[in-house]
Amino acid sequence: MAGYATKVKRDIARWVDEGLIEAPLGVRLSEDIERNGGSVVSFGTVLAMMAASLLAAAILIFIASNWEAIPRIARVAMLFLAILAGYLGGAVLKLRGQNAFGEAAWIAGAAAFGGSISLIGQMYHLSGDEAQAVLVWTACTGFAAIALRSGPLTVSAVLLAAGWMIMSAAEDWSATSLPLYYPLVAIALWAISFWTASVAARHLVLLSLFLFALCLYVRNESLDIAAVLAVLSAALFAWSKWYPQAAERLSGMGAGLTVHALIGFLVAMSIFQWALVEEDGFLAASIVTMAGIVAALILAGRDNAVLRWTAYVAFGFQLVFVYLVTVGTMLGTAGFFLVASIALAVLAFLIMRVEKRFAGQSRRVAS
Amino acid sequence: MKRNWLLPAALIVALVQIAVLASMIAGRTAILRNGQDVVLEVQPVDPRDLLRGDYVTLGYNISSLSRDIFTSPENGIEGEHWVFVRLQEGENGIWQPVAARLDTPFEDETPAGQVMIKGMMTDAWRDQERLSVVYGIERFYLPEGQGRQIEADMRQREFRMRVAVAADGTPQIKAFLDGGTMLYEEPLY
Repeated sequence: MAGYATKVKRDIARWVDEGLIEAPLGVRLSEDIERNGGSVVSFGTVLAMMAASLLAAAILIFIASNWEAIPRIARVAMLFLAILAGYLGGAVLKLRGQNAFGEAAWIAGAAAFGGSISLIGQMYHLSGDEAQAVLVWTACTGFAAIALRSGPLTVSAVLLAAGWMIMSAAEDWSATSLPLYYPLVAIALWAISFWTASVAARHLVLLSLFLFALCLYVRNESLDIAAVLAVLSAALFAWSKWYPQAAERLSGMGAGLTVHALIGFLVAMSIFQWALVEEDGFLAASIVTMAGIVAALILAGRDNAVLRWTAYVAFGFQLVFVYLVTVGTMLGTAGFFLVASIALAVLAFLIMRVEKRFAGQSRRVAS
Repeated sequence: MKRNWLLPAALIVALVQIAVLASMIAGRTAILRNGQDVVLEVQPVDPRDLLRGDYVTLGYNISSLSRDIFTSPENGIEGEHWVFVRLQEGENGIWQPVAARLDTPFEDETPAGQVMIKGMMTDAWRDQERLSVVYGIERFYLPEGQGRQIEADMRQREFRMRVAVAADGTPQIKAFLDGGTMLYEEPLY
């Protein structure tokens, strides 16, 4: 997705050159791309953000390692100044048209805030409840994302939220510590991502929800969770396939939504396979998984290269996994390589056939 | 697009985040200023390596509670539960646990001469005679390079911690004592 805006703008320029569209329309289209490409992250932007985060880290480490030399009130003042400078400086940079550096400065501000929480913890010798601190960090970063309409801050908030969920779960796997209301947090972040036009944040929210389901399963060891995830993923797939307009309105992810539905389905089925590995249900689960992959390929593969390749890779993994579990122990290593080579050859042949067919269909549709 | 909202919005974000941090500091300062002081005996938890990064991990004489002092000892409890513990000053100035209760604070008022402190149980309670509790004061951050010396001293002498306890039971480290001498004292800010 990173190069999408650049690519379309290049195409627009070519169309204008070739006289396909008028120059003013070309300008308007390019502007629209810029406006709505909130999540478009170029390599330069990423570098600027990394630079900003490093700067924030440098400041915090400097303050932390000179802890005793600086009077307390001065340390706190320095932290507050770093936050103020990050956000205000970012706004000034943005107003001057330095978008990437502006966003980077905001990320630095958010990082300084998180670092301040940990330094305050150090100041008062607080222990425990690191997850709680990350939650506060998440909430404040989310607030900043809303107020500044910033895509990168939204992405940061999603990553922090996922980090909070994992940290809470990791504190005690058997206990109640996994935040069961994480889906509500995810919904809130989803809503924020529309306000800030951050498609990347939505991708991460969906992935974090799959991770949440996985944590939930690890905690409860109940296959109901996997079943619910499988059904929900299938429903999401069907919805994005047959009601593309409604799905687009609520997700704005285009064909990406079907890919996520497939990933969710695969996570759910992997849980089933893992849990049933030594039991009778394993083969049934594997058949359902493979059928699901093929169905996804047939139903939505034509115009969706990412989905196709996700499906191919998953199918390859399935073959290896099923083989290892069922006959792998009987044949030994040489046999495994033999079967694997045959399977890979067959898979490659099938992929080429499928790709050719889809390409042919697309051409026919286009002409 | 109109962008004159950007600077005020950035200012508000910065001020809100600073306010959140300031309220954390204010909360801790309030405990230091208004809380009741108790003195606890420091007991090293991990005799091999107390020093982790820039702090030492500490245990206290109240980190492990006997079953006898619980008002309603319940077996089979798992997960995170609050533990409310009443402390009373014993001989040699160390405060000792006299009563404890799970989940909710004591209904009656804390008797004179006692202080209620709040902690969290750390493992499931099945049949064992003692319950482990953490209070959020199990770390002491040290200036760089001083950790090893203190770690060595702690094995030989008795260390104490003066802790301020808020009315709701939240504790806050106030001073680290090497026997009778003050090692570190926390300023308010």
